[in-house]
Amino acid sequence: MKKQLTAKEGVLITLKYLFMLLCVLVALFPIVWVIMSSFKTNKEILSNGLALPTQFNFNGYRDALQISPILQFFSNSVVITVISTFINVLALAMAGYVFARCRFRLKNALFLLLSASMVIPTTSLLHPVYLVINKIGLTDTKTALILVYAALSMPLSLMIMRSTFQAIPPSLEEAAYVDGAGFCRTFFQIMLPCAKGGLASAGVLAFLNGWNEFTFALVLTSSTSVRTLPLALGYFTSSFSFNYTAMFAAITIAVIPSILVFAIFQEQIVNSLIAGSVKG
Amino acid sequence: MKKRLLALLMAMTLGAGCLTGCGRKPAADGNQASGGDTAAGGEVVINYPTFQIGVNTAAPVVAQLVQEFNEQYKGKYKIVIEEIPGDANYLEKMKVMISGGELPPVVYGGGYKVLDLALAKDLVVDLTDYVNQDADWKANYNEQALAVNSRDGKIYASSSELQLVGYFYNKELYAKAGIDKPAETWDEFFADCDKLLAAGITPLSMDTGDGAWCTQLLMGAMIATSGEEGLKFMETSQPTDYNLKAVTDAAAKIQQAFAKYTTKDAVGGVYENAANNFFSENTAMICNGPWMIGDFSDTTKTDEGFADKIGCAVYPGPFVYYAPLEGFFVTKQDDPKLVEASVEMVKFFTSTHAQQLALETQGMLPASPQVEVTDQAKQKFPLLADFLVMANEVETRSNDFTSNMFPNVTDVISQQMPALATGDITPEQFAQALTDAAAKNQ
Repeated sequence: MKKQLTAKEGVLITLKYLFMLLCVLVALFPIVWVIMSSFKTNKEILSNGLALPTQFNFNGYRDALQISPILQFFSNSVVITVISTFINVLALAMAGYVFARCRFRLKNALFLLLSASMVIPTTSLLHPVYLVINKIGLTDTKTALILVYAALSMPLSLMIMRSTFQAIPPSLEEAAYVDGAGFCRTFFQIMLPCAKGGLASAGVLAFLNGWNEFTFALVLTSSTSVRTLPLALGYFTSSFSFNYTAMFAAITIAVIPSILVFAIFQEQIVNSLIAGSVKG
Repeated sequence: MKKRLLALLMAMTLGAGCLTGCGRKPAADGNQASGGDTAAGGEVVINYPTFQIGVNTAAPVVAQLVQEFNEQYKGKYKIVIEEIPGDANYLEKMKVMISGGELPPVVYGGGYKVLDLALAKDLVVDLTDYVNQDADWKANYNEQALAVNSRDGKIYASSSELQLVGYFYNKELYAKAGIDKPAETWDEFFADCDKLLAAGITPLSMDTGDGAWCTQLLMGAMIATSGEEGLKFMETSQPTDYNLKAVTDAAAKIQQAFAKYTTKDAVGGVYENAANNFFSENTAMICNGPWMIGDFSDTTKTDEGFADKIGCAVYPGPFVYYAPLEGFFVTKQDDPKLVEASVEMVKFFTSTHAQQLALETQGMLPASPQVEVTDQAKQKFPLLADFLVMANEVETRSNDFTSNMFPNVTDVISQQMPALATGDITPEQFAQALTDAAAKNQ
């Protein structure tokens, strides 16, 4: 039999739901606003940004596809981001495992050094990275972006993977070693499947970083066959000329994959971000 | 064991395959970061990065010029466009490339002060001999074009476009306020603003963001027409002292205009907000150049028939902004053939034909005194034709306020203009902030 709620509990539950509703509205508002704006004229967007569109048509989407090679950029983004995410996750899972399990000199100092690279502003990396990529002849290639994106997400992925492996009981490995498994086999067949949550979390964050990255894509590439989606948005605004309707349509096309990826893997992301945080 | 080795080998092959597939394409495809290439048939490929794509008003002109050049020099030279969406992104990329000591063979300076940055790194080819040896090319340089494109007596760039700027006004709103013609003096101008206010109409479109383009045009016109000191200041390239009466007086009037004569979104607003207020008939005047004329009949930005309501005027004084835009320049390359090809490209892009095409297609005013404004252009852009008649009668002319500045001072304008607008700083403090920023270049 259900317990009857007191008046105080009723008020608290109502407040809780109101707060959750507010959070949902805050999270959804930018997305809904961008989608609504993609159906408004430039005049409507600039005159009253919050008003509903006076008519629904897909002219903005048509213009977005005509003005910029957005579909080509989209497919480039998919290729570059997927490969860079795979490399990032694989390499950092191995590094994270070593940092979590092995004992060697200067381990903590090395980990601190790698983690500290997270605080280096991306813009300050621009010039040295440009020079290195140019020197090794990778300018204007997908490989350049793949390598850079895989490296940019390194500190975060390393921290996630280390804490994930730390949360897995060492007895699992000990059992594997007793059964005759070597170091590599233990890692790939025992530990990696146990770290699925962390892998998904690091992967999604690396994917989102790569998918949204703009500056390196601008500087390291020059041809349409290599460039990525964030660059497409620059086609719609220029000095003294603008097409905001098409720009919002392009943003809608650009953000949908990010939202889908996050929506599909949200449980893994949240779980593995808190994994290890309560480890005693 | 063998099975594992095979799996490892296959994984490595797959990884290498992925990266190889994502590698650089052959040079003949034109996919290079900078520079160019001599293709198999001896055709020199010029990679040309440009922001004049997408919604940029010059995009159709550039596309046609590239097509014509590639047809005319087929088998010899070929331009491959590198699209850089957005002028700010273009500038960012050029700055990174300059710092790396490597620029594309041809660079468009525009109003972005790229030439001086490239010259500081000794990356620019001296065009003096090329220009002097070609009478037609040399004839395209008048006194102003030479001044804009030369440093220490050497010609480094070639202009194609003239910046001739006054302001636009809404004739219907003027009539409602009982104003029959644009003001001839600044006293009349502000009296007209009061009449518009009395009729319930906001007089001016202004902005503070992105260099405060519309606002700085108004301010510069006031400085230039304030007297000898002001005009001399406006004719000075990269001034270092803004603590002049002409500047502080103009800043005080701008402060007053922000308080009284403009829209609420002017503080913090950028050009797009100012333009939309004018397009939506929220304001009666906007300072801007002829490139805006096409927007008056764009029904995604304005209502049908809006273009018929618009008139153009020179500033009180009378005064008009008149300056060729810094043009195209050629950069130093290892391959002399590529330099020759690049010089040919610059010559083609700044030829009288190219300037005529830009005029008739987009209403861009030519930098060359040899290019005539044809009847075709006048019919297509009647407002431009009216403005040219007025502008030709004006003797007091100069470059605009921010174009003369050191690049870092333009950034300070964006930071200080909102404070001036809200009264957080005085006109004197505003002038001092600009002076301090300019001093950093010495």
